[in-house]
Amino acid sequence: MNAAAGLDLASIPERIQSEVQRAIQRSVKGAEYFSTSGPTLGSTPKDILHARGTMNLYHYRPLADEVYRVPVLIVMATTNRGYILDMVPGQSFIEFLLKRGYDVYMLDWMAPKPEEKSLSMEDYVLDFIPDCIRRVQADSGEEDISVIGYCFGGVLSLLYGSIFNNGPMKNLICFTTPIDFRELKLFHNFSDRRYFDVDRLVDSVGNVPPEMILSSFEMLRPAARMTSQIQLWENIWNDEYVKSYRMFDRWATDTLPLAGEYFRAITKDLMWDNKLFNDTMTVGGRKADIADIKVPILHAVAEHDHIVPYEAARHLITKVGSEDKEEVMLKGGHVSLVAGANAVKRLWPKLDSWLAGRST
Amino acid sequence: MADKGSDPVALWHTMIGEMEKGFNAFANQAMTSPEFSKAMNQAGGATAGAQKQFGDFMEKYLLNMNLPSRAQMIGMAERLQNIESQLNEIKVMLQQMNAGSASSAYSVAPRPPRTKRPPTPAAAAPPTEEPK
Repeated sequence: MNAAAGLDLASIPERIQSEVQRAIQRSVKGAEYFSTSGPTLGSTPKDILHARGTMNLYHYRPLADEVYRVPVLIVMATTNRGYILDMVPGQSFIEFLLKRGYDVYMLDWMAPKPEEKSLSMEDYVLDFIPDCIRRVQADSGEEDISVIGYCFGGVLSLLYGSIFNNGPMKNLICFTTPIDFRELKLFHNFSDRRYFDVDRLVDSVGNVPPEMILSSFEMLRPAARMTSQIQLWENIWNDEYVKSYRMFDRWATDTLPLAGEYFRAITKDLMWDNKLFNDTMTVGGRKADIADIKVPILHAVAEHDHIVPYEAARHLITKVGSEDKEEVMLKGGHVSLVAGANAVKRLWPKLDSWLAGRST
Repeated sequence: MADKGSDPVALWHTMIGEMEKGFNAFANQAMTSPEFSKAMNQAGGATAGAQKQFGDFMEKYLLNMNLPSRAQMIGMAERLQNIESQLNEIKVMLQQMNAGSASSAYSVAPRPPRTKRPPTPAAAAPPTEEPK
């Protein structure tokens, strides 16, 4: 050891050799990276139970010999594809639930077509979700249903649960769900009512383009794309790293457009007037106060969530009317909370231990 | 093995990480200002308006060239999707009608019983799946 420099001189040749090998591997794997398409995502066997415009209802084929009585309906965020919860075998939340004996359905979204620009919050909360609930009831033969909402899917689930508070939702699980939209500070500033003319935008473009949604997400961490590409190049010799990078990168850039009227309602009711937090939210003239939700609820939040910071999510549990309620904060970010290697160890077992006893 | 303080690769990683954090923090601070919102929305509004005008112009141009526009192609795709949906519904109906004989169809395959009970605490999550 060279004490003055803190350097182990004997390790230098070994280190150089290792770096040279990695440089060679980078060249080989780099060529592979551009000539291959990456892992197949969302491959857990499923059937389309119902499809209507932007709405798709899947039923995943059971992987256990017996299942819990209460089926699970996952409500995906409207900005992104549901395969984040079904990446690849071994890293699929859906597969995990199926193997643990849950009967799993998912409400996933397709890109709304231009003629669907008039879809409003009412369509999502009073039509799409209740329609899926009815179909899950009919398909499973069960009255009760557990609902899991991810991000804005959680907001939609809260709105649904507060309006249809007499059932059939038996349990509610929200992942990283904002209710205080003032605390989404950057989104709040991007949509500052003094400068952001949402009417002009929606009236001119119809559906809000996915590029705009993606840009607003990327602006939250403007250096992330550049540094992630540097890290990819450094780790391109590492097959597992590259596989993981490709899965998440593909999903993150596969953003959906938002129906114009729906976006207008989100901007005015939630971003500007913060109605969900202020207990003044209505959907189609029906009061949607989350204090009316009485079912058991679990809210999982991420310690390092840059999209939905804790300040935006922390009041959910205090405001719902349920007696059986729990918030759990886990290490990770907005996406790594629900998907990837860390979710396998943290969120999924926690969810299973919470939900199993409430699914009989 | 070199310690982290003298390892050039570790130093490089640290530098990249710190640079990302610093740049993100700086940019986020700048983006919370009303001036940023004003400038961003002025630029965004102009772009949206220009896109709309350009789209209208292209629509007319393609019409004159006797070519289908994007909207028409989307319309065609929509009709195809409707046909596919209807085929899907017909397929489901046929499967239901043949429930007795079509044993290979998933929709009529026997489903697992809804009798599962939660594991006892001792037999709950296996050790490998405990949170770290």
